[in-house]
Amino acid sequence: MQVRKVALLFALALGVSALPAGQSRAIRDDLGHEWTIGPPPRRIVSLAPNVTEILFALGLEDRIVGVTRYCDYPAGALAKEKVGGLVDPSLEKISALKPDLILAFRGNPVRTLGKMRSLGLPVFSLEPATSLESLLETIGKIGLVTGSEEAARAHAAALDARIKAVEAFLRGRAERPKVFLSLQGQGLWTCGRESFLDALIQRAGAVNIAAGIPKKWVLLGREEILHRDPDVVVIMAKTQADFERAAAWFRTEPRLKHLRAVAAGRMSFLDENKASRFGPRLVDAFEELVLILHPALQGSEP
Amino acid sequence: MTARKRRTILLAGLIVLGLVGFLTSLLIGPVPTGLSDLWRLVSKGDRDLAVIVVDLRLSRALLAFFVGAGLALAGAILQGFFQNPLADPFVLGVSSGSSFGAVLAIQLGLGVSFAAFSAQSLFAFVSGLLVVSFIYLLSRRRGVLKVETLLLTGIALGALASALTSFLLFLRTDSFEQAVFWLLGSFALAEWNQVGVVAPYVLASLLVAQWLARDMNLLSLGDETARSLGCPVDRVRGGFLVLATILAASAVSVSGIIGFVGLIVPHWVRIWIGPDHRHLFPFSALTGGVCLIFCDLASRSLLPATELPIGIITAAAGAPFFVYLLHRRS
Repeated sequence: MQVRKVALLFALALGVSALPAGQSRAIRDDLGHEWTIGPPPRRIVSLAPNVTEILFALGLEDRIVGVTRYCDYPAGALAKEKVGGLVDPSLEKISALKPDLILAFRGNPVRTLGKMRSLGLPVFSLEPATSLESLLETIGKIGLVTGSEEAARAHAAALDARIKAVEAFLRGRAERPKVFLSLQGQGLWTCGRESFLDALIQRAGAVNIAAGIPKKWVLLGREEILHRDPDVVVIMAKTQADFERAAAWFRTEPRLKHLRAVAAGRMSFLDENKASRFGPRLVDAFEELVLILHPALQGSEP
Repeated sequence: MTARKRRTILLAGLIVLGLVGFLTSLLIGPVPTGLSDLWRLVSKGDRDLAVIVVDLRLSRALLAFFVGAGLALAGAILQGFFQNPLADPFVLGVSSGSSFGAVLAIQLGLGVSFAAFSAQSLFAFVSGLLVVSFIYLLSRRRGVLKVETLLLTGIALGALASALTSFLLFLRTDSFEQAVFWLLGSFALAEWNQVGVVAPYVLASLLVAQWLARDMNLLSLGDETARSLGCPVDRVRGGFLVLATILAASAVSVSGIIGFVGLIVPHWVRIWIGPDHRHLFPFSALTGGVCLIFCDLASRSLLPATELPIGIITAAAGAPFFVYLLHRRS
């Protein structure tokens, strides 16, 4: 009896020490659903391109069995089985893949995720805030549920170091240029205060001219842009050619060509896929954005 | 051909088509399934296959059938009610009212559900009913319901509800895609509990409609004649209105806006078997159900790795067919 008790205690102690301090086996996802961390999942379905990018960055390529039709980076993602889009993933396809982890992200409809849960599919939802810190946290969470905490910690630390380096460069700069961030190459859609792009612009030491608008995406009027007269126009586009087309439109638009930024030729290209996905390449976009907004820093970057 | 013979042919045809449709629904999907797999499922059981064939495919085929039956029955009732073949289940603003409710739930990001009905479904159902009740109240003059006033008030309030829906979409563009998908209709998220609620309701409505069918026939002779033949005109009208409204609202709440079925099916059935509502009601329901099974099949198999919203299919297939019917008649 006594021997058994000791053995039990020993086993318990082992079990506890195998866990990092202060962490329990059952956690909650960002929608409040309980998730039990078991053995590392071997069949992962990603429901968003940024999640796919994070999984690849953590070296989990071989364990991904399904991605969305928008997951095109890195190239390896193109070869993965497609399970549909962000708002219309195919339940049948997903359940046939027999995943042991489905990573959902903001934008996947709550109702679809609910249906997956009712079918017994293992969904873990990510619904982070908009800052770069929440990106690092999200990477940490993905590391935790995939059993790759070490890789996640290292990856997040490397990104964090890059962010800190950029911020060290920005420190002490009083100049805060006004920026108009144009989405979709053409048209005057931009990001409002609730978008993570607004957070990124602030972080890059600039002011978003649409920051006063409490929405994620905003369609600004021409008059509004003329009135706020940005110092820089940043155009998010898929390709350089798309950017050139959009920039040419600004230069020839009879009213907008008088904008300070357009007249001074301060229009820059920002890769849409890098900047619009809440994944590791957002830090690339951050670095590029800082160089665009503070050209004086060019040549002195680390 | 006698009327009786035409009905027999139609019934036989619908039963055969319905069975073929159901079986195909169980066999077709991204995961290849053959008859032998179905047999294995029935004889031995297979949990993974059961999720795909029973939970996903069977539930949506059944829901499609009953929603189709409900919409077509509601259409047949309202065409009789207005004595106008242009009436459809959405003529009284159910669709615009329900759309407003569903989009509101999506925009608020409500994840709550009640007895397997998502916030979206519940909001859609309730706001659909509210809009129609409001239209009904506005159309009554000194206790008398004027049919034209009802129709025109329906158009006006429908437009108002659509404007409010657009305003909601404008307020938060980030759930735009979700809302648009809902508005185009889909059975992709069918639940067994939804079948469990919609099916008995459609069947019960059919029984009530059958019971009132003779009175509906009398209404087409004009109110005075109908009254003199012993038909309680106002009560019958009220009963049909409530029946059709709840049918349409419950269909919309589980599947979004699926147009044209409720307009064309009763129309076509009337051409085929004549205007007697005692036959028109059950045949419209059956035809509508079979029709939507096939539309749902098309919706999930026309494009690879994605689904085409069913509302697009019913409209794309229905509109030319409707024009053809009109030409043939004139």
